[in-house]
Amino acid sequence: MFARALVRPSGTNGILRLFLRAQSTNALTKTSLPFTYSTSGPSKVLYTNQHEWIAAHQDGTAFVGITTYAADALGDATYVELPEPETELEAGESVGSVESVKSASEIYQPVAGTVLEANSALEESPQLINEDPMGAAWIAKIKINDAKDLETSGLLTLEAYEESLKHDEH
Amino acid sequence: MLSRVIQRRFNSSQTASNLKKTALYDLHVALGGTMVPFAGYSMPVLYQGQTHIESHNWTRTNAGLFDVSHMLQSRLTGAGATEFLHKVTPTDFQALEQGNGTLSVLLNEHGGIVDDTLITKQRENDFYVVTNAGCIERDSEFIRSEIKNFTGDCQWDVVQGRSLLALQGPKAHEVFEPLLREGQTVKDLFFGQRRSYELFNGIPVDVARSGYTGEDGFEISLPNDKAVEFAQLLLDNQHTKPIGLAARDSLRLEAGMCLYGHELNEDTTPVEAALRWVISKSRRAGEGTKFNGYEKIMDQINSNSYSDVRIGFKYLKKGPAARTDAKIFLPDNKTQVGVVTSGSASPSLGNINIGQGYVSKANRKTGTQLSVQVRNKFFPIELAKLPLVPTHYYKP
Repeated sequence: MFARALVRPSGTNGILRLFLRAQSTNALTKTSLPFTYSTSGPSKVLYTNQHEWIAAHQDGTAFVGITTYAADALGDATYVELPEPETELEAGESVGSVESVKSASEIYQPVAGTVLEANSALEESPQLINEDPMGAAWIAKIKINDAKDLETSGLLTLEAYEESLKHDEH
Repeated sequence: MLSRVIQRRFNSSQTASNLKKTALYDLHVALGGTMVPFAGYSMPVLYQGQTHIESHNWTRTNAGLFDVSHMLQSRLTGAGATEFLHKVTPTDFQALEQGNGTLSVLLNEHGGIVDDTLITKQRENDFYVVTNAGCIERDSEFIRSEIKNFTGDCQWDVVQGRSLLALQGPKAHEVFEPLLREGQTVKDLFFGQRRSYELFNGIPVDVARSGYTGEDGFEISLPNDKAVEFAQLLLDNQHTKPIGLAARDSLRLEAGMCLYGHELNEDTTPVEAALRWVISKSRRAGEGTKFNGYEKIMDQINSNSYSDVRIGFKYLKKGPAARTDAKIFLPDNKTQVGVVTSGSASPSLGNINIGQGYVSKANRKTGTQLSVQVRNKFFPIELAKLPLVPTHYYKP
């Protein structure tokens, strides 16, 4: 969807403006809890090639959600299936799912950890997934088992993730 | 899963070179349509600037323009055309008035549904037939073989070079009527009727008051080389937006209509599909030509000799949608009594989940509470009358 937005405007200025916006589209929203949980912000924000993000804080707490790219591709969210607190999940296990009218998609845990809390705001307002997927629509707050997993699980930086999207779009 | 959905949606254009294109293909692309493979065609699923739910709601409140040119338009003619239809469908086409159309089903020898179809009597023994794009091969094989075994005079010809556009929604008539040549009107064209008109610029169009959304609207057949110009004229009206396959499916699901391959297949009879009304009373006595599967279908009607029947349902609380092949249980969540054939959130009902499916006859009553299984959880549902959202057809 934003792949199309990138190519449609005819003027160079339009392309440049959209390109800049696209570059920051999958960055964490600075005003929402996944960022503001620590005063200094998360120590790491990383991405999976299946379009999840994880914002990890110094104390081992992390927030998990889906990227703007994924939310745009799914369309209007109509229901979000949330995890139960205290669920222990390995990397790659399902932490929830997002439904649109047309389809349902699993969300996978980026690294092993235990669910501390699910974002209950999504129960009443699944559309948050489309409005602020990189912030207010965080899906789970988790305790990471081992911070080293963030380095060794093949997670992507924002730059690497957005680079991978360019290949997705061809 | 997330990546798979995205891959499917974003890579769908890669195979586009092998796909057929309708006359409106370039217009779809220019309008920002996300093109996907559908029944051998590259078709728009959604257009830029609208979400699925916005497209859906727009059609329920304004006018949505759908390209349905992928559907097969054909003609059955010859002195035996009516008799032939009486062999392959259970509907009375002798009694049908000229200029009127009706939904019917093509039946195989076991009374199973080969396809659902809209058949209009243009003149005595001259029928205009619309069948599903996804069934073109099977339908062609079926009709040709039936004609071969038919002793009367009947020809089947595919209509070539014509597009089919559906304009649907409560404002469809406001959008369409001003485009007609002066003195012509659709005020006396009622639901199910079909007539030839001429646009103000001389383009000849064949207009049926019908559709697949539950709303008032038109299905308009016209020459391919005029289709883009006509579509543009419709879209110039601020009440019209182009609508893709995504909303087409959610609209028909709410309207209680069947999607071939989901609610209907060759093992399903019209009795099981809750389509008894296509079996005309006058055809049930078995006088004259008997329709395919007559014995079985009449026994199902007279002796209730069938087990499962199509139903509609609504969720009683929130949850993930029960989609195709989800199991339906008694409230004990142990005894399976049916299966879901289509299901999704319903934009017209505040996004509560709805669906259609088949359940055992004993559990078919409206209001029956059952449950559906989605992944490992169970969600309570209540059987509801079809259509699940009220229809608004233009009737006298």
